[in-house]
Amino acid sequence: MSWFQKKTPEPAADSPKTAPTSRAAKGLKVSSILAEDTILFPPEGSGKAEIMQSLAAAVCGKAGIADWATFLSKVQERETGISTTLDTGLSLPHARMDGITGILAGMAILKKPIPDPKQTDLSIRVMFLFFSPNKQDAFPLHLQLLRGVSSLFQPALIDQLTATSSAAAALELIKKLEA
Amino acid sequence: MKPEPRPGRRVTEVVVLTTAMLSFISFGRAAAIVLCDMASTAWYIGGIVETAIGPSAPWFILGVLLCAAPVLMLYVEGSAMFVRGGVYKVVRESMGGGLAKLSVSALMFDYVLTGAISAVSAGQYLAGLANSAFPRLHIHWAVEPKTFSVVFALCVVAYFWRQNIRGIEESSDKAIKIMSLVAVMAVVTFSWAAYTIWVRGFIWPPLTLDFSHESLGWLKGSEHSLGKLGLLVAFGHAFLGMSGLETLAQVYREMEAPKLKNLKRAAAAIFVFALLLTGTISLLAVGLIPDAVRKTYADNLLSGLAMSMAGPHWAQLLLQAFVVVVGVLILSGAVNTSIMGSNGVLNRLAEDRIMPDALRHLHPRYGTTHRMINLVVLMQALTIVLCRGDVYLLGEAYAFGVIWSFVFNAGAVLVLRFKDRSKREWKFPGNLKLGRQELPLGLAALFLLLFSVGLVNLLTKRHATISGVAFTAVFFALFVISEKLNKREKAHDEHREKFNLRSADDLGIMRDEIERPNRVLVAVRDPGNLYHLNRALESHDAETTDLVVFTSRIRKGLGLVDETVSMDNDEEKLFTKVIEAAEKHGKTVTPMLVVSNDPFYAITQAAQAVGATEVVFGVSAKLSTDTQLERLAMTWGSLQTDKKPVRFRILGPGVEHAVDL
Repeated sequence: MSWFQKKTPEPAADSPKTAPTSRAAKGLKVSSILAEDTILFPPEGSGKAEIMQSLAAAVCGKAGIADWATFLSKVQERETGISTTLDTGLSLPHARMDGITGILAGMAILKKPIPDPKQTDLSIRVMFLFFSPNKQDAFPLHLQLLRGVSSLFQPALIDQLTATSSAAAALELIKKLEA
Repeated sequence: MKPEPRPGRRVTEVVVLTTAMLSFISFGRAAAIVLCDMASTAWYIGGIVETAIGPSAPWFILGVLLCAAPVLMLYVEGSAMFVRGGVYKVVRESMGGGLAKLSVSALMFDYVLTGAISAVSAGQYLAGLANSAFPRLHIHWAVEPKTFSVVFALCVVAYFWRQNIRGIEESSDKAIKIMSLVAVMAVVTFSWAAYTIWVRGFIWPPLTLDFSHESLGWLKGSEHSLGKLGLLVAFGHAFLGMSGLETLAQVYREMEAPKLKNLKRAAAAIFVFALLLTGTISLLAVGLIPDAVRKTYADNLLSGLAMSMAGPHWAQLLLQAFVVVVGVLILSGAVNTSIMGSNGVLNRLAEDRIMPDALRHLHPRYGTTHRMINLVVLMQALTIVLCRGDVYLLGEAYAFGVIWSFVFNAGAVLVLRFKDRSKREWKFPGNLKLGRQELPLGLAALFLLLFSVGLVNLLTKRHATISGVAFTAVFFALFVISEKLNKREKAHDEHREKFNLRSADDLGIMRDEIERPNRVLVAVRDPGNLYHLNRALESHDAETTDLVVFTSRIRKGLGLVDETVSMDNDEEKLFTKVIEAAEKHGKTVTPMLVVSNDPFYAITQAAQAVGATEVVFGVSAKLSTDTQLERLAMTWGSLQTDKKPVRFRILGPGVEHAVDL
């Protein structure tokens, strides 16, 4: 728990000004951590577990990490806990990993929504999987990314993404929105 | 009309909880409320005590007012231990429920009499002014003082009944205005008296006692063998000068932060003001009003003082009018204090399920315990009618409850020193350390003094003893029966706060509840885990920040629109603890409950709706702090429509984390 800044209680009024958020987190763009080869269009009928596996493999492959199974097992472990699916249609599996120094991310766009196995009333239309460094000072960045991605992937963008047919077009859409 | 169910994680029902107990007052307002009772005795104590013990009355009144200092200290120690304190709570914790009920029954007697004597006395003053002014105005009427005072008293009681139904904040506002006017009157009167003394000189009251026919009660005939006991008898007759102090304990729960410091400030203000006003006025009345004239002003002594000042008759009449107007106001304020104080005492009983549950019903609009107020006011009105405007009779019956509630209180705080050795926020002085033991000699001395006065008063104040014992017995029996019936009806005896619930279909309702520039949302769930709320209350600035205390009722599925808005047992228990925490810190909170199918969405939606810049959580038993924050960051992002930063804090014993997003 040492990744948090320990501080004495203070009034809320000055809280935004004394934010301990790292500079990296503030300027982070989702499009900058994605690449065309980590944006997948899983075949129809794929389940959440399969999609996560494909994404983990793609993301690790892009980063030159051979042991993608360890990464997958970590994200699967996280998925056994509280749900990472939002009611916007975004699923956001994530894990904090030792041995990496930056964010590794990939995205899957589903042409046909699939139900979340843990919460069947929620549908997954886009899955954004990422790994962040398991370091004290990286946790704010991890949280910032969770907030940033979930803020960016609103139903309107998800509609547009599911209408695209190529990774390049999808990445372009995100870049345009973040510009 | 309720909206159609929508898919997704959403809040479908919002309930804002209100209670009159969530507003807090300054120490000045608290002191003013108490002084409206205690200082108002200045208008009648001189006449009553002199009738009982002779012209040495001012010395004994001064003695009683000096004795108020240790009694106030007693209340400070007791109140610091129990925020919802007062004699009932302290005695119950120390000596058990039976004696606690007995002490409160006695106290209720004086609350009823305070209202009656103050209102009737105000009527007497007005009647006296009218009878002084009419001849000068060539009006050939005369007002019959007793009849007039009864009618006037009933009007005053009716007015303050209405005010108390509307809530404490408005009542304390009136009290502070009244006390400001009293201060102005005191300055004018004392200055004029100084001039009169310079012109005419001053006759110091004698030190000899001259007991009246009635004032020795069952000790009649033993005047010459009383010896030093006579001093205690006289002291007992002046004891009504200390009425109203219990109200300090009752208003402590509404006192704003820093509570203990403000309590001490209020106690000091009460002591100094009452001593200067009542003590000086009583001395001046005997020293400046000629003996022969003074008897005619027994029921309105300050009018006599005004008419005895050096100066032309019209000027005297003007001063009398001023004194009477201020007197009517403060005496009316005493009626208010008695209603508030007795309502507070009855609430403590109700919390213990001693009062019938029906009496705890909250006023639908103002959130006050209106049925308890109705009960007290009804008894005061009945007393006013029965006494037929006789102030001396009321004065003779008075002080039974005051002295015995002090005796019980002092005894209870003394016993608690041995029974509960936990660290005190403040202690009554005069403690002798003997190794690891501490002997509370100061408290013991005060208890002995009060107990002696109580015993002597039992023998000498016949009206007080007979009517007080009868009233106490009836009330005690009522409390015992009511408690037994309540226990039969409901197995659990844990106190639950009463709330008014205001519900809506969306969170827009919260905009009406918040007014300060900064907002902090504190998420609560477990009544046993409010550490984070207490920490948030400690650190937040109540002047600039609204603290919204939030909980969610989680319902699975999406068809939430039929959810009822009444609170269940667990929610009542949770918010009762929330209110207790707010009271302990003297800071206002806005409690809210939402119905949702996802706790994180509920928190996020609520926090964003109120514009919170900070969200505070406790340490969860089920989820790690990482997981809590991750999920919250996700929902915060998915729902946020702007880029405003927010701080998440997780607080627990030994745990303190903050992260800004």
